[in-house]
Amino acid sequence: MEGNILDAARFIGAGLAMIGAAGAGVGIGLSVQGALGGMARNPDAYGNLLTNMILGIAFSEAIAIYCMVIAFLMLFKVV
Amino acid sequence: METQKRRPWRRWVVLALMIVGFIVGGMTYFVPVQPEITFAAEKLVEQPLFTLPVIGPFYLVNTIPPLAFTVLLVIVLAFYTNRSMTNSARTDLVPRGVGNLMEAFFELLYNMTEGATGAKWAPVIFPWFATIMFYVLFANLLKLIPGFEAIGILRSSATGHPVQHMGLFANVLPGVATNGSGYVLVPFLRGVSIDLNFTVAIALISVFMTQIIGVQTQGFGYFFKFFNVQTMFKVPFFGAMDFLVGLLEIISEFSKIISFAFRLFGNMFAGLVLVAIVSSLLGKISILPSMIMLFELFVGVIQAFVFGMLTMVFMAQATQGHVHEEEHEEVHEI
Repeated sequence: MEGNILDAARFIGAGLAMIGAAGAGVGIGLSVQGALGGMARNPDAYGNLLTNMILGIAFSEAIAIYCMVIAFLMLFKVV
Repeated sequence: METQKRRPWRRWVVLALMIVGFIVGGMTYFVPVQPEITFAAEKLVEQPLFTLPVIGPFYLVNTIPPLAFTVLLVIVLAFYTNRSMTNSARTDLVPRGVGNLMEAFFELLYNMTEGATGAKWAPVIFPWFATIMFYVLFANLLKLIPGFEAIGILRSSATGHPVQHMGLFANVLPGVATNGSGYVLVPFLRGVSIDLNFTVAIALISVFMTQIIGVQTQGFGYFFKFFNVQTMFKVPFFGAMDFLVGLLEIISEFSKIISFAFRLFGNMFAGLVLVAIVSSLLGKISILPSMIMLFELFVGVIQAFVFGMLTMVFMAQATQGHVHEEEHEEVHEI
């Protein structure tokens, strides 16, 4: 097996960096759970709840994307 | 009332095309291609187009033709909507055609805006929401045309890939070229939102205009959100904490820029990687990349909507200030 140790370390680091996306998945699931519970109790508040749910999902997903940025920086040899 | 019997014929055309795709994909002459994924957009022409003294050279990058086409599409849509609405305003006030469709969209978005911002500032905030959403939507959807990021010119490079020549065209194969005659693919067209310049530019515009709208609605007292010295002399300890929270808000504004830029870039780049790798893995069964492209359609629409809506919500938050001051008064009255 040949190769550069630095390249191998880059790949391993990129894989480890994406473990942080698990937290974003759990966070999005929890916020959608709360939104769906609210919509089931009070169907009139559908528009309001939907707007706030989308906002919450976008904030959660941003954290996962920060992890992906680190993974990309390592994979594509930027740093 | 007699209606003609419906004869659905388009489904048979789709089925025939799928079977043809199966057979052509199964032929061993066409081997799976090496996916070509790069982080930055590639230069089409080696010489820069022009060079500004301080900023540097500007190259013709392979995301610039799709950018020109996106801007052209938005302008054409605006022109035809305007013409349709003035025609209908002249005759009988009933919108038809393009004007009808656009009025339905805008009413939906405007109601959402009014719900978040209140009726007073919705006319100021709504143009930013709708423009950013339509611009990013067209940029994301244009990337789905077949041939984007796949058809290009081959540049020889020492650490490239081997190439299978087929007459006038050539096919890039996976692996590393053995005797130094490898080739690297430079696609002609690349999706605009996969370029970090595009996303960072729109993110900067969005956050900067949020500050401008904050100053427009609250005057220069808007900057007391960042340098919060109002409660510092009334209640010493909580006032100092408010001051530090205000300083953290500045960092939050910068993180909004990065978050906007990388959310759009990351989602679109993940789509590019997914399509490229799935196409290279399953050379024989050639239907699956179309399913991935369908998912890309969905993700593109959602990301455009989220970009616009987050802009709108941040601008709505900028117009409302001093909310937490009332909360502090309630706490002290207990």
